[in-house]
Formats: sequence, structure tokens, C-alpha cells
Amino acid sequence: MKKSFLDYVLRVRLPITLFVLVAAFAVTYYVSRAERDGLGYTPNQPINYSHKLHAGQMNIDCQYCHIGVEKTRHAMVPAVSTCMNCHTIARADKPEIIKLKKYYDDGIAIPWKRIHRVPDFVYFNHSVHVSQGIDCISCHGDIRNMDKVGQMKSFTMSSCLDCHRDAHNNVPYVKNLKNGPENCWTCHR
Amino acid sequence: MVENIDNKNMELERDPNYWQGFFSIQKDPEFDKAKRNEEKKISDNDNSGLSRRKFLALVGASAALAGVGCADYRDKGEIMPYNKMPEEISLGNPTFYASTCNLCSNSCGILVRTREGRPIKIDGNPEHTVSKGKICARGQASILDLYDPDRLQNPLRKTKEGKFIKTTWDSANKEFFKVLESAQGQIAVITHQINSPTTKKLLDDFKKKYPTTKIYTYELFNDSIRNKAWKKCYGTDFYPIIKWNEAKVIVSLEADFLGNDGNKIENARLFAEGRDVENIKNFSRLYVAEANMSLTGINADYRLKVKPELQYEFVMSLLNELNRRDNLELPISVSNFSLKTFAKNNNIKEDLLKHLINDLITYKGKSIVFAGRSLPEETQIAVNLLNEVLGNNNLYNSSESFISNSELNSLDDFNKLVSEMNSGNIFAVIHFDSNPVYHLPENMGYKNALKKVGTVVTLTESANETSVKSNLVFAINHQLESWGDAKTRTGFYSLQQPVISPLFNTRQKEAVLLNWIKVENENYTEKMYHSYLMDNWKTNIYPSLNSKIEFTRFWYGALNDGVVTTNEKEKAKFSFDKKLLNSLSTSPKKSDGYTVIVKESYVLGDGRQANNGWLQELPNPMIQSVWDNYASISIETAKNLSVKNNDKISIDTGNGKKEYPIFIQPGATNNTITIDSGYGRTTIGKVGEGTGFSISGLMSNQPKFTPWIFTDAKVSKANGTYTIVTDQEAHLFEKTPSENIFAQRGILVEGTVNEYKKYPYFLKEEKGKGNHKSPEIYPEQKELYNGVKWGMAIDLNKCIGCSECIVACNAENNVPIVGKEQMEKDRRMQWLRIDKYYSGSYDEPIVSSQPMLCQQCDDAPCENVCPVAATTHTSDGLNQMVYNRCVGTRYCANNCPYKVRRFNYFDFRDHFKDGYQKEEVFDLVYNPEVSVRSRGVMEKCTFCIQRIMEEKASAIRENRGIIGSNVKTACQESCPTNAIKFGDINAKDSVFAKYRNHKLGYYALEGVNTKPNVTYIAKLRNTHTEES
Repeated sequence: MKKSFLDYVLRVRLPITLFVLVAAFAVTYYVSRAERDGLGYTPNQPINYSHKLHAGQMNIDCQYCHIGVEKTRHAMVPAVSTCMNCHTIARADKPEIIKLKKYYDDGIAIPWKRIHRVPDFVYFNHSVHVSQGIDCISCHGDIRNMDKVGQMKSFTMSSCLDCHRDAHNNVPYVKNLKNGPENCWTCHR
Repeated sequence: MVENIDNKNMELERDPNYWQGFFSIQKDPEFDKAKRNEEKKISDNDNSGLSRRKFLALVGASAALAGVGCADYRDKGEIMPYNKMPEEISLGNPTFYASTCNLCSNSCGILVRTREGRPIKIDGNPEHTVSKGKICARGQASILDLYDPDRLQNPLRKTKEGKFIKTTWDSANKEFFKVLESAQGQIAVITHQINSPTTKKLLDDFKKKYPTTKIYTYELFNDSIRNKAWKKCYGTDFYPIIKWNEAKVIVSLEADFLGNDGNKIENARLFAEGRDVENIKNFSRLYVAEANMSLTGINADYRLKVKPELQYEFVMSLLNELNRRDNLELPISVSNFSLKTFAKNNNIKEDLLKHLINDLITYKGKSIVFAGRSLPEETQIAVNLLNEVLGNNNLYNSSESFISNSELNSLDDFNKLVSEMNSGNIFAVIHFDSNPVYHLPENMGYKNALKKVGTVVTLTESANETSVKSNLVFAINHQLESWGDAKTRTGFYSLQQPVISPLFNTRQKEAVLLNWIKVENENYTEKMYHSYLMDNWKTNIYPSLNSKIEFTRFWYGALNDGVVTTNEKEKAKFSFDKKLLNSLSTSPKKSDGYTVIVKESYVLGDGRQANNGWLQELPNPMIQSVWDNYASISIETAKNLSVKNNDKISIDTGNGKKEYPIFIQPGATNNTITIDSGYGRTTIGKVGEGTGFSISGLMSNQPKFTPWIFTDAKVSKANGTYTIVTDQEAHLFEKTPSENIFAQRGILVEGTVNEYKKYPYFLKEEKGKGNHKSPEIYPEQKELYNGVKWGMAIDLNKCIGCSECIVACNAENNVPIVGKEQMEKDRRMQWLRIDKYYSGSYDEPIVSSQPMLCQQCDDAPCENVCPVAATTHTSDGLNQMVYNRCVGTRYCANNCPYKVRRFNYFDFRDHFKDGYQKEEVFDLVYNPEVSVRSRGVMEKCTFCIQRIMEEKASAIRENRGIIGSNVKTACQESCPTNAIKFGDINAKDSVFAKYRNHKLGYYALEGVNTKPNVTYIAKLRNTHTEES
């Protein structure tokens, strides 16, 4: 039987096209994974604040600024007045501090760029994690060595569940840590 | 049909014929057809065309989408921390403020929950002496009024063309001050009842500054007749509170003390205290004699149908009978009144009256007869006499009295005012947060008289019938933005403080007046009234308290508590003035013809909150109607008038014909027509527009009987129909009333007090008898739920069916308003409903209320039909619903035997009234702890999972176990009778566990074997089953 053009299309062209499509999709999917999850997102902030300097070199406790982290759902980005506790005097002549002081004097909130975010149908609670002894580093990366903060870990539901299902290996430094709950209503309501 | 329902209703039998439908009463074939085609109703085309607003939104959205596509996709927005952190705020945790609600004359204490500075929920203040942590539906819903997009946002001035334009406070004040200064005659200030001593002082100061001022006070519904009669009988204006909890027998005459007569929150609490199954010996018995079904009537053990004008005869006949049985040495002759004749004329069963007489004699001094505020003075005096001769006056609380800071003006005072206005003697009228054009009887002519007044100003939160007749409209603060105080009782004051600064360009009404007083010396500041209030307390109230604390500290303490107790100790003695009795008539009056009763609406009150969607959508406790009022009549009367449900009738009480749609109320007295107030507002925002019918056309400026009851009305059938939407018909599955399905399937289980006394396990035994039980779905799961397991118990003996819980649930869980059209299609969204079951005959029904919410079944039928596992079970026994996983197949709702799942057919926030709930300011009302659901998602009661999670979080933080009693669900918190209990089923020695394993406990539809975590405590009727 003579092979028609249609046969050629169906037997050779179509599978090849499909293969290329699927392969391209799969490669893009895995390659872009980090990007889609927001890994490495390091935006410029309105004030060049350095966690490395404050939390790392000067060793200021995280909770000096993020005061809500043990008490409430939110860790809380500090109010401008918290910065001014020191910076009314400390380094008041530096350009970034002058910027800061202007915000403070004008009574304007600083529009910090959000780096870590879970969707709004997720009710994550900082306090229950921190009070179990889980360090900030476990989710936020080594903030103490970041001049400019970026997202280091994925914040998807599967990364939450990874830890909830195997707390022991994910947070080895807390002894006897039980696995977290897996009920939907733990986070969604 | 009506004939084949047996009329024996005297004693409740344990499986009465429950029937739910009202349309089925009339055997309407149209209705049957519609019921069969319920699905068709659902699939109706809802696209009512693309409105201009929606079109613009679409264009905007497309543009925004295009913009977003090009923008930085990694951008996650911004975090805006405070500039200076307020001390009291801790982000994510609520802050509570004690304050006072001033929506009615009860002035209950409230506790306002705020999040990040915005109030999100109103609860009762537990410190408050009277309301004790509870607050009515209207008070709870007032949070919605605060964020009402239809509120006035600026002062307005009327132009020559009659249009209202925005103006500034300065120019409006200047304009009106010029008028005040000219002093060309009298000034009239029209206000609602003043409960605040400081506002009272302010009005006095205003009078001092402008001596021609006269204050006129009104309340559409008030206790003036009862109080007047009391004063005549006892010569004192010490109006005592009744100790409902101590009464063994309560006889309520046309008095809806659980619904709208007096302080219903307090009454309900005390009443329920006397109906405690744990204290079965002191279980009280409630007789209700009334014209139409009321909330109190629903809860009656025995209900008599008596026309209001015959109540006098009823009381006198009781006196006669009691006198005959038990010589009472009555100071007047009652021999013309015979109970037998009365019973015969009014078709009342003699057995019932025998029981009543026996009870009154047996429980002398422990019974109370209570006359409704709408009854005339004569009846009130007769009731006082009855209580006096029975020695019931020790049920009056002699150390606590109602106190009012302002005497109400009579209708005659207002008639005089109108004639003064018409003769041009009044140059300025100030409506001090009042709406007399809507509230006063139409035939008084107040509206037209306003035209003769030089300057009319109205201080109001939102445009109303009175403000549109004004020259200047001053936009005032909501109660949550205002300072104030209140004194309603002996023994304490309550304080009101703002919990948010004014959202719009508004001022507190008192501050506006104060500004007019001080206009020469002082410019307006926001603190003006605050310091006036503090000064008044410092000079007038604080010294009388003999407090040892310095004033400023005392003041902050008082604001923190919301209540200041005083050591006023009154011990009133009541001595009855017998001379008075000569004025009572000694022979019965005849009554034929129609009697029209206007009644305060359960949900809307006098109508000032008619733009509140939560209230409009709150089912009326009798027939579960929403969004409208109606003329409520008996089936017999409907037959005589040859009308069906939704047909219109015209009513003439002497001021011309007014038309109302009818709805048949089982248990209504023949030839009486009852209509609720609060509806039919003509000038109002988007929500209240076109709802119901006004009653001011029925009211009279010279009422012949009482201001709320009109005898000898002319009633006839009118043309046309108007659809009343009732939820009673939703999910109805009975075909004929005799099918008896509700009792058979164990939805409702009821018994009597005597049966329980005899053998407490009687219901458990009975259930054991051959009841069908479905096989278990998951037979192998035995080891589950070792930790905490959440459960609820609802004591149906205490539940009075008031619906307070529904509003609490709406507020807590961000439940949207859906609108009348959607309600008609059974698309209501409330997570909690109060089912009403009628049983017995149509003429003399017995009513049962049952709150129905998600039963959180252990073997939940909804879970195993969900194709995407959006509803599953938690390890603590909850049936969880995950919105972001739901694809909207609605299988779960179909498989739910309790019909408690709600589907978002639309994004109701956008759909209802063209995006009313999407206005910017409306967003502020949402509880940030609960997702706002969108179109295509199923939702249901979660046992307030956000509150459970709060307790879990604090347990983890404090490194302790979870304590079940620390969690209070929103409905439980709001229940005025504490009928709802919540806690950990596995905490065996907790209070909750006692109810969970109660002798009277049962599960709804136990045969289905879903193993619910909601236990109902069966209702006991305190009837005479055993003795008779």
C-alpha cells in the first residue's frame, strides 16, 4: 500500500510535535519552578536596611523589631517609631537615616516591599511555630547574613506539609518536636 | 384539608402532627407544582442585563488585567507598618472596648471587638448589670450601620430648587446660628427618649441659651400606658422589674415580653432561668392570651386566643372566678363578668381555664399576670388588682426600677405642636436624631405643618423622611463614633465611648447642639462633647458616688468597665390605691368587627435601622418572612375576606384606606389583623428601598382605644397581590400535614415536664423501641477522636427562637446579604437558621423552634460525595469545608440530611443591589479571621473554627492542653438564654459533657446514623397531661 501524506503526518510529524511540546512544557515547568515559587526574589526596598548589619553584626534580637512573633499570627514589620528608638541619635547624618527621619517626621508609613507571602485564604500563625522553638531561619533563610533580604525557601502548601509531615528531619535542632497537624482547617477557614 | 386535622390540642401528645408549610394550608395547586419543580426555580435566568456600573467595572477590570500582564509579576505588594505604633494594638489580636448601645430605651452595655482600629463585632458587656453580656439582634447589627455606604457623609443644604447640596459644617452652622439668634418665636426640638443624663443636661443648657425652646420626646412604642396605670395604682414612679425567674406561673396578656415588650434580653434570661431542666421542680408554666402569634406565644405551654379589647373582660372574669373559689374580698363588684360566658363567646376550652384558675390559686404569690404595653389603662389597672389580690407583688423587684431621664410627650402634645406650627408660631424645628414624619401618625399632618416652619434642621445619620423636608441636614456620628452615658435603672450608670474616629465628615449630635450653645466663645473641636461629658460627671455624678479614687483615674476605670455601680438603695413599698377601682367599668363590652394591631417589628424595631441588610434578611420568628411586613390574619378571616396568601386587603382604621398583603398565621384570632412596624420607608438607602408597608397611615393622632390597637376597622379585599417571601417553605418535603414526618424521623422530640419528673429516661426508652437505624458508613473507625472533640448542645427548653444568634453568626463569619429575590429562590446564605414547626390544629397550633446548623456529623454524608475532597474530617471531630478547594458541584448539599450547606450562586457582594457590599467602606466590617467566599463555593457552619484555632494557638503558646470551655462560638455568646453550650465532648467532667450526655439529649434524624456532634435537649412542655 502506498503511504499517503496523511500517514506521514500521523506517524511521524504528530508524535514529534507532541513530544517537543510536552518536553518543552516539562523542562520549562521544572526550570521555572523556583522562579514561580518566588525563590530568590530580592526587591529593592525604599530604605536600604541591612539585616546583616543589625541582626548579624550587632546581634540585635529579631524580636526587638518583630514584636508580634511570639504573641500573634503576625511577626509584624516594625513601626517607624521603633527605628527611631536608636536613630534619633545613631547615625542621624547618613543619607538613608535622613530618609527614614523624613518618613517619621511626615507621619508616613514606609512602603516596604513584601517578600514573603502566603495567599489570603491561608491563616499562618507565627506564634505557634516560634513558641515550639522553630527558628526564623527554617523558613526565612539565613537572614543574619543578608544585606538585602530575599526569599530563600518556597512558601507553597507542599513546603508547609513537608515539614508538618516530617518535622524531625526538617527541624532537627528542636528535640521531640511532634509533626504538625494536617487538617485543612489548620490553615484554611 | 382543615377538616381532617383533629382539633384536640389541649394536651400535647408525644408525636403530634407537625406541619410546616403555610401555602399547604390552602391547598394551592400552584404551590404544589412549584414545589415539585424546585430545580426549575433554581435554573431561572438571572441575567437581568448588564448595568452601567457592571459594564464600567468590566472595562476597568480588562484594563487592569492588561496592565497587570505587563507589570512585574514577582511583585507581592507592600507592607505598610504603622508610623507610630498605638500602644493598645497588637496586630492580629482583637482589642475590646466597653460602651453603651443607644438604639432603644434599654441602653444595653456593649463590648466592641476591634481589629487594627476598626470595630468588627458588637457583643454584650458581661460587666453590665442588666444585659449581662448579651445584646439583641438590632444592637449586634448596628455595626453594619456604621459601615453603611448610604450614610450621610457631609452636612447638606437644600437649594431653592429643592435639591440637597453638600456644604461645610462652618457655613451650615453659621446659617442656622443666624436663624437661632433672630429668635422670632418658638424653637421645637424633637427627640427620641433620652437615656443619657448628660444629653438631658445639654438640652437643658440649650433651653437656657434659647429660652423659647421646647423639647418634644416621642417613642413609637412605649410603656406610657402601663406606667401611667402603675402610677395611679401605687402612687409612685418606681416602675419595678419583674422577677420572671421566680415565677411558677406566668400569665401574659397580649404582652410579648420575650419579643419586644420591655427589655427582652433581660426578660428572656430570667424567663429561661425558670425553665431549667436541671431544676425541674421549679419549672415555670407560661399561659399566653393574645390576638396573634407572638414570640412569647410560641413559647407558651397554653395559648388562648383573645382579642385585645376583650382582655379586660378576661381579667375581670378571672377575678370573679377566683373570688368565687377563694373569697378575695374584692373592693369592686365583678359579678357581671363570668368566665363561663367568656369561654363560650371566645371559643376557649373550659379545661384550660380550669387549669389556669387552679394554678393561680395554688401558686399564689408565685405567679405573675402581665399586661402588654399596648393594652388600655383600664386593663392594666385590673391586672394590677389581680396581682395584688393574689399576693403576686412580691415578684416585683422592689430594689430596682426603670428610670427615664425624659418624660415622653403625649400625642396631644404633638397635636398642639402641629397646630402651633401651622399658625406660624414656631420658627425653627430641630430634629435631634428623630424621624417624626415617618413615625408620627399620618393624620396628624406633621409633614405639611413643617412647610409653615421658617427653618427645619435635621440631625441624622442617613437621609430619612424628615431630613428631605428640612432646610439643613447635619450628618451625625454613629453610636460607635460617639461619647455618652446612660442611666436606665436604679443602681448603675453606663458609659459610651467612641471606638473609631468618624469615618466621614460627621459630628456627634450632642456636639452639634453644644456648638450652637457655645458658638460665641468656642470653636468646634472634636473633644468638645467629650470634655462636656467629663465636666458633667465631675461636677454632678462623681461626687454622689462617694468614690475614694481621684476623678481622672476613676474616669478611665469607668470607661474601661463601661459600667459604674452606685450605692443607691431603694426599697420601694407598694400600696395599692383601692379608691381608684371605682372608675373601672363593671360590665363587659361587646366587640365585633375587625381589630387592627400595630406591633413593633422583631427585626426592624421602629424602622430606624431599615437600611440594615442583616436585619431585613433576619427571618421573622413567626412565619420566617424576610424583607417585608404583612397583614397577619387567621385562616377563618382569610376565608371570610376570600383572600389567599399574598393577596392584598385594604384596611381603614378611620383615616382612609391603606393596602397590605396578607399572610395567614396559624393561631391568629379571628377578625384581628396584626401588622409590624418599621417597614415602608420612603426615603432610605439602597437596602431598605421598597421593603414592606408603612403603618403610619393606620395610626391615629386621637386614638380611641390605644395608640396601637384600633377596633372596628373596615377591612375588605383589595386588588392585586404582593409576594411575601418566607423561608418556612424552604426544603419542605411533607405532602400533607398528617404525614407526621418530623416526629417520626426524630427531628423534633418533645415531652412534658410531668413525664420527665416521673421517669427521666422516658425519651431514651422510647427511642430505643424499634427505631430504624441505617448501617454505619465507616464501621471500622473505632479508635478516632482520642484528643479534643468539639461538640455543641442546644437546650430547646431555653431556646425561645429569638434569632439573635443568626445575626451574631452573620457578623462573625462574613455571611453576605443576598436580597429578597434570592431568598425567594431559597438561596439564603445564613449558616444558622431557626426552624419553626407547627403542630396540632391550624386554629390552635403548638409551635416548636429548633436552631439548625451544621451538625458536624462523625459520619458525614457530605464528605463521601465530594469529588475533590473539599470537605473532609478533622481529628477533633469537625466536618471541615475548604473553600479554595471547592469546585461547586453541590453534591454535598444534596446529600446533607439537615440542609445546612449554603452555595454561593453568585458573588453576592457584587450581585446584591449592584455591588452594595463591595463599596469601599463596607469592606471594613469583615472579620479578618474568616475568608470572604466567592461565587461557586459551598459554605457552612464551622463551629467558629477561627475561635477554636485561637484557643489552639494560645494552648500551644502557653504549653498546655486545649480547654474546651475556653472556646465560645458566636451564636453561643449571643444567646440571651444560654441555650447553646459548646465544648470538648471528651472532657468528661466539664459542664458541657453533662449536656452532651443528658437524659433528654437526642440527635436530629438519629435514624440516619450520621452521629452528629450537636445534641438537642428535648423540649418539655409544662402541661397538665398527667393530672387531667
